[in-house]
Amino acid sequence: MSTFDFLLQGLAVASDPMILLYALIGVTLGTAVGVLPGIGPALTVALLLPVTYGLDPAGSLIMFAGIYYGGMYGGSTTSILLNTPGESASIVTALEGNKMARAGRGGPALATAAIGSFVAGLIATLALAFLAPYVVKLALVFGPREYFALMMLAFVTVSAAFGDSAMKGLTSLFIGLALALVGIDQLTGQARLSFGVPELLDGVEVTTLAVALFAIGEALFVASQGQRAEDGIIAIKGSVWMTRADWARSWKPWLRGTVIGFPIGAMPAGGAEIGTLLSYAAEKRLTKHPEEFGHGAIEGVAGPEAANNASAAGTLVPLLTLGLPTSATAAILLAGFQQFGLQPGPLLFATSPQLVWGLIASLLIANVMLLVLNLPLIRLWVSLLMIPRPWLYAGILLFATLGTIGMNPSPVELSMLLVFGILGFLMRLYGYPIAPAVVGLILGPMAEQQLRRALAISQGDWSTLVSTPVAAGILLAATLALVVPWIMRLRGKGAVLAQLAADED
Amino acid sequence: MIRVLTATKRRPDGAALTIAVALALLGGLLVWQAAVIPDKGGYAGIGSGALPRFIGIGLFALSAAHLWTAVKTGADPIARPHMGPVVWIVGGLLLQILLLRSAGFSIASGLLFALTAAGFGRRRLLVTVPVGVGLALAIYGVFDQLLKLKLPAGLLETLIFGG
Amino acid sequence: MKHTLLGAVFAAAVALPAFANDYTIMAPAAPGGGWDSTARAMQEVMQAEGIAGSVQVQNVPGAGGTVGLAQFASTAAGDPAQLIVGGYVMVGAILTNASPVSLADVTPIARLTGEAVGIAVSADSPITDINGLVEMMKADPGSVSWAGGSAGGVDHITVGLLAKAAGVDPTKINYVAFSGGGEALAAILGNQVTVGISGVGEFLPQVEAGTMRMLAVSTAEKWPGTDAPTLMESGYDVNVQNWRMVAAAPGLSDEQKAAVAADVDKLANSAGWKAMLETKGWANTYLAGAEFDTQLAKEIETTTAILKDIGLVQ
Repeated sequence: MSTFDFLLQGLAVASDPMILLYALIGVTLGTAVGVLPGIGPALTVALLLPVTYGLDPAGSLIMFAGIYYGGMYGGSTTSILLNTPGESASIVTALEGNKMARAGRGGPALATAAIGSFVAGLIATLALAFLAPYVVKLALVFGPREYFALMMLAFVTVSAAFGDSAMKGLTSLFIGLALALVGIDQLTGQARLSFGVPELLDGVEVTTLAVALFAIGEALFVASQGQRAEDGIIAIKGSVWMTRADWARSWKPWLRGTVIGFPIGAMPAGGAEIGTLLSYAAEKRLTKHPEEFGHGAIEGVAGPEAANNASAAGTLVPLLTLGLPTSATAAILLAGFQQFGLQPGPLLFATSPQLVWGLIASLLIANVMLLVLNLPLIRLWVSLLMIPRPWLYAGILLFATLGTIGMNPSPVELSMLLVFGILGFLMRLYGYPIAPAVVGLILGPMAEQQLRRALAISQGDWSTLVSTPVAAGILLAATLALVVPWIMRLRGKGAVLAQLAADED
Repeated sequence: MIRVLTATKRRPDGAALTIAVALALLGGLLVWQAAVIPDKGGYAGIGSGALPRFIGIGLFALSAAHLWTAVKTGADPIARPHMGPVVWIVGGLLLQILLLRSAGFSIASGLLFALTAAGFGRRRLLVTVPVGVGLALAIYGVFDQLLKLKLPAGLLETLIFGG
Repeated sequence: MKHTLLGAVFAAAVALPAFANDYTIMAPAAPGGGWDSTARAMQEVMQAEGIAGSVQVQNVPGAGGTVGLAQFASTAAGDPAQLIVGGYVMVGAILTNASPVSLADVTPIARLTGEAVGIAVSADSPITDINGLVEMMKADPGSVSWAGGSAGGVDHITVGLLAKAAGVDPTKINYVAFSGGGEALAAILGNQVTVGISGVGEFLPQVEAGTMRMLAVSTAEKWPGTDAPTLMESGYDVNVQNWRMVAAAPGLSDEQKAAVAADVDKLANSAGWKAMLETKGWANTYLAGAEFDTQLAKEIETTTAILKDIGLVQ
């Protein structure tokens, strides 16, 4: 049978009404648990996996796929509405999404996230079905030096996308980089900046920093501004649904996000965060409404959300073709496969095509089901923001701490939440952008480790960093991204750029 | 930086000076840390001390930049904060940390809820504390009973959910 | 004991008497990891087999399990209803983190599961056997880059032991730590490194598919699913198993300890546990009583020595 026949057969099995019901239950459960702050998709799947035991393989598989997609979408819902990202991949969504929600555009933000996830999920799942063997060859070309080059590209493009003052943006970035040093250096086992406190040995959790800076820092800031009108949250302004203009501004970011997210997700050390960050940077550079970035630009939600979902499908490429679990979620999926008697590995496509194609068909169905379930719910979600401010913020703080308590109820972890919350408050008060600090914490360790791995393998020879065409090409692109704006400024276009930048928050 | 250039010369910016000192201290901490840990580079040539040193030096440079702008351009006007509400909320977070182990999740988080609401102007603790504790109890129930994730339990949780 | 929220409220009103042998199992790791899944598997089987009435799992993550271990040693002392899951990784972490609390501060009961560490190369590597690899290390240790798990972990320790057994200076090994199994595997498959070292289970599917070649396994006996020689057979005195265990609280009386050991023994010999190991793909390396104590003491000794030799512990 050809690829296409297997897929059709899978879809036929999945269109049974009972199966569709399982998909609906899975998506509902996944969304319900995924919206709890601090619980990302990996943990959602891990917690709900037992629910799928005892069903027949087809039903179990589809419920599993539904939980997976539901968990991912649930995470973006809380990021957008409450500014409490539950996993590092939805941090970027919170940047613009929460600004939109506060300006009464939560409906369109949730809609573009849902539809963007759907579009990206659809395209990426099809790409998984048809391109996996080729994509995986590309992914294996990436070793430490190529990843290092990719991190440099991410640093350059992303830091250019934040803030108006280079000094303030860099300060924020370096604070993030400094925090990234806390804990055990993974390559040597050496403890750094942990001062004998065992809880610090594992370093600063990205979601802890993000939730503290975003949710707690912001709550403190808003409270400190008293009753000033401009800080108020408007639950709904205009249509809850996406307008024609929203559609026009969303579809390209969806596609671009998919194209960026899928291959990066397929790389064993790529990670969904990098894809979302690069997508955000790309959208900010390409948008016709740069003045809206930082105040709730719909492109800034559409692109990264699509990238996030596409990279989630991307992680399935090495998982299904090589049997490599390259992310926490993929590792949990692997555990899920084992209950179907499936041994993921390079032979999976050859030995159990029915199950693999069944899974891919299930992912497609679950993706549709997610849209069916969530679009009507958007109005309900958005009405959460109509709760009066004292209750709303009290709830946000309760949920923000819940994420940390659920994962690790240690006083040290909670104290970090408090200290970083105050840091976020001060940064906001003095006009320092928040996002670069989180970016520094995410990218810093990745860049450091890849650099040192590359150098260890080459036994200290720095020329290894440009010794392959891929690594050299990416580093060249990063250099250009750094230098070209400078040249443009020197050639007199600087006034325009500075004007744009000065308008930003 | 456009705004800054047009600003008239004022007294040095106290906040920027403070930030400059803080950044220098942080930079110093990193450079010190890089110096005291065994810098086992192995075959890579650069070890665990390289990045702290690099970032520490970067922080010194940023500190100098802050110093420069503080003296050169003076303070940017900032929105004067009301510290009262901030104290309420920080107090709520502190209380939660202190009480979480002893009083359990629901009471500690319920108090955080009430104090945050107070920070936003709703000061009737007789109403907000029970609401907060009730909400937290419901969350505890979902985590404990459905998700099998154990949140810190106190008297209240043991009484209702049997520990 | 899986009741609904509403049911729980009613149940509390009636205040059911607790079972005599309820357990709380601490997983000193975040939900979702290996120790957590071991604890939850124990929970499921102990309840299903009626070994215990109700079993709770508590997660205390941090620092290779040492944060949870320290908390367990202080709060659970003397309480026979408390258990903690741990493993070989903890032995290393206690040493590298200079943890004030060690396994001597709890009451180890039994080893439950374990896995051999495998040494493998990509299928197109010129290296064909373990002796060839060791020759390369002897000639120029830096030229052999090892991809494996975190520094000071079981993979790193195994490389150190192999080097020492082969007469190569353990401080001279070129060990490149990767964060996840997937990332290290990709580096091996993509020929970014010379050789890989990881749990055998990670390599077996690749070996089966012909993309990788297993050179040796670290256990005393051959590992099921591969005919790769053991390191002992190849002439290197190395015997490592990455195991998971369960321990009870410190300060128990002999009767209390015996009761816990009996429950764990019932668990390990139950049909439910065997089925669970099957689904999870875990190997049964159950070892209890004095034999386990001796084995544990021996491993702590060799681990301490090799971590000093590698230079990770002063």
